[in-house]
Amino acid sequence: MGVKMLDFFGDFPDMSRRDLRDFKLAIDGAFRDFSRTNGEAIEAFFDPLLWFLIKLEKLLLAMPWPVILVIVAGLCFLGSRSWKLSIGAVLSFMLIGYFGMWEDTMSTIALISVATLLCVAIGMPLGIWMAKSDRVQSIITPVLDVMQTIPIFVYLLPVLMLLGIGKVPGLIAVCVYAMPPMVRLTNLGIRLVDKDVLEAANAFGADSKQKLFGVQIPLALPNIFAGINQTIMMALAMVVIASMIGVRGLGIPVLQAIQNQYLALGLMNGLAIVGLAIIFDRVSQRYGKRLQQHRGGHDHD
Amino acid sequence: MKKLLISAAILAGTAFGLSGQANAACGDFQMSDMNWPSATLMANVDKIILEEGYGCNIELIPGATTATFATMNEKGQPHVAAELWTNAVSVELEKAMAEGRLHSAIRGPITELGEGWWVTPGTLSRNPEFKTVMDVLERPDLFPDKEDPSKGAFIGCPAGWGCQLANQSLFRAFEMEKKGWVLVDPGSQAGLDASMAKAAQRDENWIGYYWAPTAPVGKYEMKLMDFGVPFAGAENWDSCIALGPEKCGNPKPSAWTESVVQTVVTSEIKAMPDVMEYFGKRIYPGPVMNGMLVYMEDNQATGPDAALEFLEKHQDIWTKWVSADVAAKVKKSL
Repeated sequence: MGVKMLDFFGDFPDMSRRDLRDFKLAIDGAFRDFSRTNGEAIEAFFDPLLWFLIKLEKLLLAMPWPVILVIVAGLCFLGSRSWKLSIGAVLSFMLIGYFGMWEDTMSTIALISVATLLCVAIGMPLGIWMAKSDRVQSIITPVLDVMQTIPIFVYLLPVLMLLGIGKVPGLIAVCVYAMPPMVRLTNLGIRLVDKDVLEAANAFGADSKQKLFGVQIPLALPNIFAGINQTIMMALAMVVIASMIGVRGLGIPVLQAIQNQYLALGLMNGLAIVGLAIIFDRVSQRYGKRLQQHRGGHDHD
Repeated sequence: MKKLLISAAILAGTAFGLSGQANAACGDFQMSDMNWPSATLMANVDKIILEEGYGCNIELIPGATTATFATMNEKGQPHVAAELWTNAVSVELEKAMAEGRLHSAIRGPITELGEGWWVTPGTLSRNPEFKTVMDVLERPDLFPDKEDPSKGAFIGCPAGWGCQLANQSLFRAFEMEKKGWVLVDPGSQAGLDASMAKAAQRDENWIGYYWAPTAPVGKYEMKLMDFGVPFAGAENWDSCIALGPEKCGNPKPSAWTESVVQTVVTSEIKAMPDVMEYFGKRIYPGPVMNGMLVYMEDNQATGPDAALEFLEKHQDIWTKWVSADVAAKVKKSL
């Protein structure tokens, strides 16, 4: 009797190996059936996104490089109003091209821009919704925790089984990881808006829509832009992971370099990713700051 | 009738003689238990059969290819490497064999192994006219690429792997771009596996690079395609195709280079004729091995578990490797 008790406390009373195997096989089988019946429909659902990604990439690749440089300079200046930054961006692109990474960089830019747009388009409304309701916040926060911590291939495997390898699963992987800061910081920004300001808005008879777009979002902009910024950074950090599931871009040479200890190749492509990140980051930050010039006191060089 | 009796008597005699000899000659030795599923299965099957049937006493030593080979070569231990992929160590192995330190007990202990181009079973059943890779290459329209459906997708080897260069060279040698194909880089083994698994589960057409013996090949019953061209020589392969298009602009069409797998033994084992005879007959049919790998994966089976499963389920195979007497002894022990 005593020995049995010891046995009980010694080993955790786990599921038998056979049951555990059957349990796993049942889940795998159910997913396989789901993928067989719904896979094509789900693929079709994402087709417009794929179409857009391919068109954007083809467009970027087809455009003559001087045009791209002009566009880069123009966008940088429009965003930041800084000559220094625009010239720096053009120089980095010229270096990237000179070292033979132009095409990969264009593919990466296509993926990152679409990913960022998607993250903002989904993340901002989610964040606003979370700010409006504590209940929504208590549901979405743990979901965001899962998105940021779950090992990537755990959720990528089912995605790959449904959609195959390529751009769309790559985009999903990037967005799952890069969207949470957007949601969190939008939520935080709106929650931090001064209660007195809101009362004043109420006193002027603003309805909730006017309050949101006229008061809350403008005042939350610093946080929202910090969110966009973080999203861009994290999206770029995911470029290599996306390449592990067949997305063309700067990640492929990095993978090659890691596999074969090609120091220079890895460093060059890694630095190209860093260069893109810095350009995206500085331009979006400056743009965010310019939007808040009315607050005064901030530098806008 | 008389003739039959005599041959039966001779057979029985040899069997007894052999087993008697075995018990006398077989002592303690070490076998390498390599760290991948098919090798550990083979080592454990060998251990059970040689211990129960031949009275050997075997210790399994864990290890990987290079480390195992190095200690076998230098110290003569472990005494047996059941599944040694000898392409990686060919120069040293040839030297050791010439000097009589190491010996090949059998070349190709598993059939249908190695690298190559595979298709899903549905691809073949829907297109019975596909006899070789060359036939498949004429029909890119049956393998539409997701990103450009006007092209056929050939799934190559993950970025940075040695086989990536060989696949790029073959892609060029077979003029696949002109025939309307794109070479898709799956990026990682996870990507390659998922691409194949998705196609097999949905019963879609798929052609790409893979290798055997592996669980996915068994699980999805993938079919290895004959290239339809002969192997165009080691010179073409080693100093052109394997180097990739950047270093070799003009690769000749060729079948994939043969992966040589051998059971390698030291001189001590070579001196045991019945053990050598067993190794010489011990050939696993590829599909059976792949099926065992699926079993191991599904059940998270260890080498000894899988060896028992193999000995119980596949008696028709292993009983042919040994005499009736040995087979009976092994069966009794299960």
